Amino acid sequence: MIEERQLTLIMENKPGALVRVVGLFHQRGYNIESLHVEPINNFKPYKFIEDELNTKFSEGEISRLEIKTTVDDPLMRQILRQINKLIDVIAVSGNEGTYLKGVLRDENLL
Amino acid sequence: MKLAGNDILIQSLIEEGVEYIFGYPGGASLHIYDAIFNQKEMQHILVRHEQGATHAADGYARATGKPGVVMLTSGPGATNAITGIATAFMDSIPMIVISGQVQSHLIGTDAFQETDMIGVSRPIVKHSFTVDHQSNIAKIIKEAFYIATSGRQGPVVIDVPKDLTNPVDLFEYKYPSEVNIRSYNPPIEPEDSQIDRAIEAMINSKQPVIYAGGGTISSNASKELFELNSYINAPITNTLMGLGVYPASNKNFLGMLGMHGTYQANMAMHNADLIIAIGARFDDRITNTPEKFAPNAQIIHFDVDHSSVSKIIEADIAVFGQVKNSLQAINSKLKLRSSEINDSNLDAWRKQIEQWKEMHGLDHDLYKNNSDDGPILPQAVVQHIYHASNGDAFVTSDVGQHQMFAAQYYHFDEPRKWINSGGLGTMGFGLPAAMGVKLAYPDEEVICITGEGSIQMCIQELSTCTQYKLPIKIFNINNLALGMVKQWQDMNYDGRHSSISYEDSLPDFSKLVESYGHVGIKITKNSQLKAGIEEAMSIKDKLVFVDIYVDPNEHVYPMLVAPDGSLKDMWLGKGEKT
Ligand SMILES: Cc1ncc(C[n+]2csc(CCOP(=O)(O)OP(=O)(O)O)c2C)c(N)n1
Ligand SMILES: [Mg+2]
Repeated sequence: MIEERQLTLIMENKPGALVRVVGLFHQRGYNIESLHVEPINNFKPYKFIEDELNTKFSEGEISRLEIKTTVDDPLMRQILRQINKLIDVIAVSGNEGTYLKGVLRDENLL
Repeated sequence: MKLAGNDILIQSLIEEGVEYIFGYPGGASLHIYDAIFNQKEMQHILVRHEQGATHAADGYARATGKPGVVMLTSGPGATNAITGIATAFMDSIPMIVISGQVQSHLIGTDAFQETDMIGVSRPIVKHSFTVDHQSNIAKIIKEAFYIATSGRQGPVVIDVPKDLTNPVDLFEYKYPSEVNIRSYNPPIEPEDSQIDRAIEAMINSKQPVIYAGGGTISSNASKELFELNSYINAPITNTLMGLGVYPASNKNFLGMLGMHGTYQANMAMHNADLIIAIGARFDDRITNTPEKFAPNAQIIHFDVDHSSVSKIIEADIAVFGQVKNSLQAINSKLKLRSSEINDSNLDAWRKQIEQWKEMHGLDHDLYKNNSDDGPILPQAVVQHIYHASNGDAFVTSDVGQHQMFAAQYYHFDEPRKWINSGGLGTMGFGLPAAMGVKLAYPDEEVICITGEGSIQMCIQELSTCTQYKLPIKIFNINNLALGMVKQWQDMNYDGRHSSISYEDSLPDFSKLVESYGHVGIKITKNSQLKAGIEEAMSIKDKLVFVDIYVDPNEHVYPMLVAPDGSLKDMWLGKGEKT
């Protein structure tokens, strides 16, 4: 079913990281309807990621990115998988589930 | 230890075990080249064009499994390498590309020889880095090698502003012993439940086919693949990228599949009840029309890349992990359940495949005809090369009809011996790739099967071969035209040959190569073919270029019928369809 969906990403706040995500949409012919990005300062909601990755986030290190796009289910799955491949992406959620540590979990954790 | 940026960069490469750097110097990389001059562990190979450097590094990587290393200057040096980086990216080849950049304070000012290399290369790299400080160089190199060689492999670009390699400022240097990138976790071990489902499907199948591709070679899993098939004894086909991963001389081998695959391989795929895809990605040259692909088959897909699975063909059972680890996992379980496999279940299937092969299989004895009544057949040329090299040479190729004939008629029994640009289809790849292979394996026979169109795209590297004494054998299958384009024009454009010939402007290749100090042999008649090829193979200390004039009207068959065809729809000869 084609409908508007939201993708949420947690990624390293490194130079070029955002443009890799946006570039991927263009390269693969997906459309972006809206995009919002901001640095994360409150790490509480992401404690489970810190635990999973055995790491501690510090100020200015990671960003949260929200993208809205209108696609069907198989394309949504493909987009999630392509984004999951970007080296600087820590986790990505769509309505199918969440990729974290390269593994797909069946719920939207972000 | 305190070192300058240029020395940190070079020492880090030495720490990674790099033997060869393929490159070309310029203003932005002068400091780096000074550091190269001051060491003895690595050899720098000076190519004649940066595209040649990337293909040579790529050939080295494909043959050895180790990443190839390329050194570029900024601007035109960097952009000249783009085709070679894209070639490596499409075939998932590990490569480290270091590009000089203008000084940090000049970035963004349209400085002399400034190009945004990170931006230009972004869609065709696995990842890229900009060096921001000397003290990060060692860490970046470590991470770059890790990324390039793990998971689904690929090229990594490192852009280095010139000021950060200056020989004056010194920084503490210690090469990191470990690497951990918290956001990067490529899958390694498969899930048990998927392995069990895959085994169940294999045991129950009556018409299975294994379809193994380049990912099986990248993962160094040919032994594991062989073991798997020692249990299930299934017919097996390889993609263009996978040739050699399973011995071509084995009775289970069906030949290549896809666009120019064998009749029996394509028919087996179309009629299978189970397709076991291993390190392969259902590219459009394989599936033909995806909706018509293998209508009755259940699909098991082994891959390291989630995004390759169910991208084009929906997988019923997906096994994510390094192919080698996944096959080891399945083998250790299959071994215990081998009594559940009834080999005679496949008898009818094997008989059917044998019939297909008898009906329309390739003729591997064309080389036996040495009569001068007809023109030289390009297929026979490859057969002669196969026999004259005892079937165990490294063979690089370019793109076109000659490439397909090489894939169809040279039988590879080992992985990493067939070296060609499958994904991007880059003309010009063959000669520089052969240089990289020959440097890696100086005592092995390295052959380049090319066409007179492709060879001219990187022909300047004949000079590099002289400089470094690389006695490779080049067989130029000369049909006086861009043969593959001509074939499509014959078949789809009523023979309107738009811009595919060079009339009388081809060089005399023998004279050309002789001017570089190489040996040239020209063959125009069938009766000269065997002796000419054997003579070339007998010359061990020189590059030999054999220019072979073949039938200019020959086509490559089988060929899938497109658009709207399935894998069972093939052209079998001129005007002859299944
Ligand atoms: C760089 C590049 N440009 C164009 C093409 C398109 N192309 C594919 S095959 C081919 C003809 C190659 O001619 P030749 O090397 O003589 O091989 P032949 O088909 O004649 O054996 C062309 C132009 C390509 N693959 N690569
Ligand atoms: Mg040609």
